[in-house]
Amino acid sequence: MTNIAKEATSSPRSFLSPDAIQIFYRLLAALLICAVLAVLSDSFLSLGNILNVLRQASLTFFIASGLTLVVLTAGLDLSVGANVALSACLAGTVIHQTGSPALGVLTGLACGGIVGLLNGIMVTALRIPSFIATYGMLWVLNGLAYWYMAGDTIHGFPAGFRQIGSGYLFGLPIPVYLLLIFLAIGTLFAQRTIWGQEIYAIGANPVAARLSGIPVARRLLLVYAVSGTMAGLASIVFLSRLNSAEADIGESLTLPAIAAVLIGGTSLFGGVGTVFGTFIGALILTLLLNGMNLLSVSANWQPLVTGVIVILAVWLDMKARRRTQ
Amino acid sequence: MNQLRLGYLALPLLIAASLTTQAHADGETIAVFTKNQTNPFFQTVRVGANNMAKALNAKTLHYIPTKPDSIPEQLSQIEDVVVKKPSAIVFTPVDYKAMVPGVEKINEAKIPVVNITDRSAGGKFVSFIGADDYSLGLETARFLLKAIGGKGNIVIIEGVKGSLTSVDRVRGFNDALKESPGAKLLASQPGNYQRLQALQVMENLMQSNSQIDGVLAANDAMAIGAIEALDGANRKAQVIGINGTKEAIDAIKSGKLLASGDYNGFAQGCLGTLMAIRTLRDQPVINEIVLKPTVIAKDNYQPFDQPLEQRTCPTWDEAQKLGVK
Repeated sequence: MTNIAKEATSSPRSFLSPDAIQIFYRLLAALLICAVLAVLSDSFLSLGNILNVLRQASLTFFIASGLTLVVLTAGLDLSVGANVALSACLAGTVIHQTGSPALGVLTGLACGGIVGLLNGIMVTALRIPSFIATYGMLWVLNGLAYWYMAGDTIHGFPAGFRQIGSGYLFGLPIPVYLLLIFLAIGTLFAQRTIWGQEIYAIGANPVAARLSGIPVARRLLLVYAVSGTMAGLASIVFLSRLNSAEADIGESLTLPAIAAVLIGGTSLFGGVGTVFGTFIGALILTLLLNGMNLLSVSANWQPLVTGVIVILAVWLDMKARRRTQ
Repeated sequence: MNQLRLGYLALPLLIAASLTTQAHADGETIAVFTKNQTNPFFQTVRVGANNMAKALNAKTLHYIPTKPDSIPEQLSQIEDVVVKKPSAIVFTPVDYKAMVPGVEKINEAKIPVVNITDRSAGGKFVSFIGADDYSLGLETARFLLKAIGGKGNIVIIEGVKGSLTSVDRVRGFNDALKESPGAKLLASQPGNYQRLQALQVMENLMQSNSQIDGVLAANDAMAIGAIEALDGANRKAQVIGINGTKEAIDAIKSGKLLASGDYNGFAQGCLGTLMAIRTLRDQPVINEIVLKPTVIAKDNYQPFDQPLEQRTCPTWDEAQKLGVK
């Protein structure tokens, strides 16, 4: 490896770096929201509610964790929500027709992964900016799902399959296990593998990355494929948890996923951010909804409260970070 | 009240037989405008329109925005249709105010047009066929309150904030609650007509309320989402939804859902098309029909539990009992 490569891949990644400090501030923001809610609502700090919040955050996290890798390369994947919808509809159909949950899970993951790969091909081989490529893909997927479902809802799945989204193991919801597993995998992959480091390098400076011999196109393909596959995983959890799917379930998933990535401190310009930060981002969004439900905040005020707190959280964090630098 | 009532149609009559004697010309093309491809409700409208057209020897041509409820898209579809000149138009505005200029274009082109589902704020129509969200909410909520003996803890899950359907349905829910002093409204929270959001709202509300007896959801998808949340927590409550979707009928059959208010999309599609064709054939029409809500429950779901294509449209004689000239 050349010197440029070393510089591009090594400098920002050691563990107690600005990254760690940044995560600390995000965590502080989440804890602050928890503290406020604990004071305002008796039921907030119960074990049941904490597990409930984690389970709810898991769905956003699955989508947002794959998306984090894309954003780290200074790209964006706007098709994740539509991908979840189409994957869920296809997986649901396969389970209904074959009676095999395993085949359904494979279908969901494969559909998600293939869509991601297609995004990657558009971005690398065809050199379409990711925002446009995945925006186009969003409509293609929506169109396919609308046409395929024709306004129908697919529902009713075997009890075994339902366990993935709504089951418990040793008192913990199964989606929470999945969340912890993918949080660990995502963090290790990004921080501790060469491929992960190369992804940061590509986002920080694509030209330097290419010059230093990093196979940029292949890494980008990987990143989009992972994002798609994670959307596929989310579709399986959705299907299993909700026991049904329809063509329009994706629309309300995309923006919260992007928000979770950005609230978590990943920069849209690439090269900066962590999967753990994204987890905190997803947690903050979920806590807000949970808190407003527990406190019975009027439906009229909920969007406003969400908006103000999101802006406030990110602003405080930016301010704190500037001070430390 | 100048609204007459439509009970649900117990014994289907043969429309074709009753009308062959009066049909002069046939083979007309009816352009049917609906709001989107995602909501199962509009699928029932389209099938109703198709069935009626088929029975009267006419053809339908469907115009559906690819982006759900898109105002610009429906406007451009109107420009299209004005050039193509179908015999008549059955029209659901994606927005009851914003589409008025579009309706005026149709009027200028002298194409007869029937307004269904949402009442347009302007333009000239042959007739209006619709349902009333307020009484739908009121009747369905009354049904639930009666089932739980007029007392208990109630939760409302609202639709999209600011949408006419949700505002009116929720107003109906609240007015029904006022009639039952023994019932206590614990919370009224937004689910945005989305299954996942309703599930999460319900999970959150169960954390702060140990006893919930009834759930009033502004559509079926949210009602089913709430039921999934209750099942997941091993809790029981009576739940109602609105729209009479196939999924809701299945849930009523299996005893999970108490009832669903039928918005009667099928009859709206049938009657809208009937009025359009009768105008073309110089037969008298009914200027306004506001369908009375039907509450679908365990003892009357059978007629709704068959494929849409096999349902039978109301006849002209039945239609006359439903409206005022």
